[in-house]
Amino acid sequence: MKKTVAILLVLALVCTGLFAQGGKEATDDTVKIGALIRNLNEQFVKDYADNLRKLAEENGVELNLQDAQGDVARQLDQLNTLITQGYKYFVIIPQDTSVTEQMAQQIQAVGGGAAFSNIQPSVDALKVGKDFYLASSPELVAGQYQAQIVDDYFTQYPEKAPGKVLNILYLQGQLGHPAQISREAGFIDTLESLGYTVNFVAKDTADWTPDKAQEKMDTWLAAHRGKFNLVVAQNDGMALGAVESLITNGLVDNDPSDGTILSFPVLGIDATADALNSMDQDKLYATVLQDSVGQSSTAFELAYAMATKGTAQGVTAWGIEPAKEVISEAPANDPAVISQCYLVPFKPITKENYKDLM
Amino acid sequence: MEMKKLLKDSKKVATQYTTWVTFVGLLLLLSILTNGQALRWGSIRNLLIAESVRSFAALGVGMIIITKGIDLSIGYVVCLTASVAASFAQNPDYSSAVYAGQSFPLIIPIVAAVAAGGLFGLFNGYLIAYGKLPPFIATLGSMSIAKGLQLIYTKAAVVGSLNQNFKNISQGSVGPVPNLIIYVAIAAFIVWILLKHTRQGTHFYAIGGNAQAARVSGINVERDLMMVYFYAGLLYGTAGTLLASRLGLANSLTANGMELDAIAAVTVGGVSQNGGVGKVSGMMVGVFTMGLINYGMSFLGVDSYYQQLVKGFIIIIAVYFDMKKYARRA
Repeated sequence: MKKTVAILLVLALVCTGLFAQGGKEATDDTVKIGALIRNLNEQFVKDYADNLRKLAEENGVELNLQDAQGDVARQLDQLNTLITQGYKYFVIIPQDTSVTEQMAQQIQAVGGGAAFSNIQPSVDALKVGKDFYLASSPELVAGQYQAQIVDDYFTQYPEKAPGKVLNILYLQGQLGHPAQISREAGFIDTLESLGYTVNFVAKDTADWTPDKAQEKMDTWLAAHRGKFNLVVAQNDGMALGAVESLITNGLVDNDPSDGTILSFPVLGIDATADALNSMDQDKLYATVLQDSVGQSSTAFELAYAMATKGTAQGVTAWGIEPAKEVISEAPANDPAVISQCYLVPFKPITKENYKDLM
Repeated sequence: MEMKKLLKDSKKVATQYTTWVTFVGLLLLLSILTNGQALRWGSIRNLLIAESVRSFAALGVGMIIITKGIDLSIGYVVCLTASVAASFAQNPDYSSAVYAGQSFPLIIPIVAAVAAGGLFGLFNGYLIAYGKLPPFIATLGSMSIAKGLQLIYTKAAVVGSLNQNFKNISQGSVGPVPNLIIYVAIAAFIVWILLKHTRQGTHFYAIGGNAQAARVSGINVERDLMMVYFYAGLLYGTAGTLLASRLGLANSLTANGMELDAIAAVTVGGVSQNGGVGKVSGMMVGVFTMGLINYGMSFLGVDSYYQQLVKGFIIIIAVYFDMKKYARRA
């Protein structure tokens, strides 16, 4: 018992000493930016983070980058940690849209600001303050570009889709994820407006991951062989899983004249290095560039402007001006926050231009 | 002579209070590394909040390990109960809500989630106590069942847009003290009473120490075993509710891997994998020790890949010393 008391006393002593010491603040004027990144295990996110680190070094910024490892709770804890460390300006790839408002409120409480990329913040998050920005690409557009690539392919080879009927195997990202919803909507709407009948032979989530996509495809190929003419995935990781599955199941015609040695075109989104390699080997047919450099540079420049000038309202970041007209996708669908939205363009990547990125 | 005695004494204290010594040591180390920056009240508060939900899981599995059991289903049961709670707390005007257009009184999500946790506890307990399944296998199975149910219930979608009243359960505070910290204190107190001051509590230790002897001395081993998993289930249900409330959402990734964190924490806190040994104070110190490690590495900006590595080694070292300590005794 005596010893427990002694230990508790030591503990208390240590703590008071530390609290007292904690009052001192570092008073150098290095620009400090916090980065909260949802999961470094994903290629796009990793590329985004690498570019942030590079920009921070070039600009002499003290960047504290935290990886939430896919866990919303961890991301909130990391935000708390950085705020107590005196960070006020943030670049954020949120783990989920639903937490963005809460994050914005906490940052607003210390008079800071943030730029959100990749996962869309909610309209309410941007309404928390003028210095909360969207620096991302509207996901609808990615789906629309996929649809246009599909149209180009079947216009060239109409015999592969008789009667303009598309029988599709469709791999979705995590259900309920804003990108999953908008990419699908953009894809379907555009194809239908181009006069196609869109028929999903199979459609399911593979949680953005190649291994789950490959498993799903293996099952589908056993069940639906010969009943489909197109494979579409909502990201490159899953598209590459699908490519592997087609190859191991022997659905290869070894004729690259249509742009792929596979029997059916496979489409992805992101234009990761792996995807470009696969295109170079005539496997993956096409992808859409989700511009990790563009998004991270825009977000970084906004955070940098806030940290150096106190606000980033109205600035041009990475050559992009704040949006002026609303689009149909949140949060850029609300006129009240449209001037806080920086829309980084997507870009369709096909045989004609993929080499530019390699 | 004096010196020798002092050394001997401090050695004794160190082995007896390994948990506390580790905790204080880490505190000191972190304060040196950050010039005291990491340990201001704001930071301590963050740490307490961050570890609050895990504390519930740790208290549950701590009791189970005292009976020489184990529970691998924690992460997904918490994930399921969080999803259940969230589904009854969504804004009715949210179009993708599980029960779109309906709003429920605040008590419903709480009761539903705690009940779901309790049911899973009874299920685990029944399999282990009466079905005689090894706890490892029984809870491995129920882990997968919980995950499956979560995916079916939510259709693998995010259960978001929760109403403010529900969010206030975790996000609110009483003066400067966050609600979550108060809940943890209450839960720890209840478990302490249960373990230390009820007959059933002493049964748990007896069963963990030697189930055969406990049976001979008239303890209803089956019933008590079933109850320990049930109590743990109630704690997981509470954890799920609080987590959903804190995050404002639940999805299939919520609380994944929490079983490892909780088991590691109580092991570091001196709850022996051999059963029959463990204290609530130890469990809590264990949770905050692991939290301090996470928090410290995050504060110092250690690469997340290395954080995993360090955590792994700490768990192994803790169990190694635990095994050694009780091997000697046996």
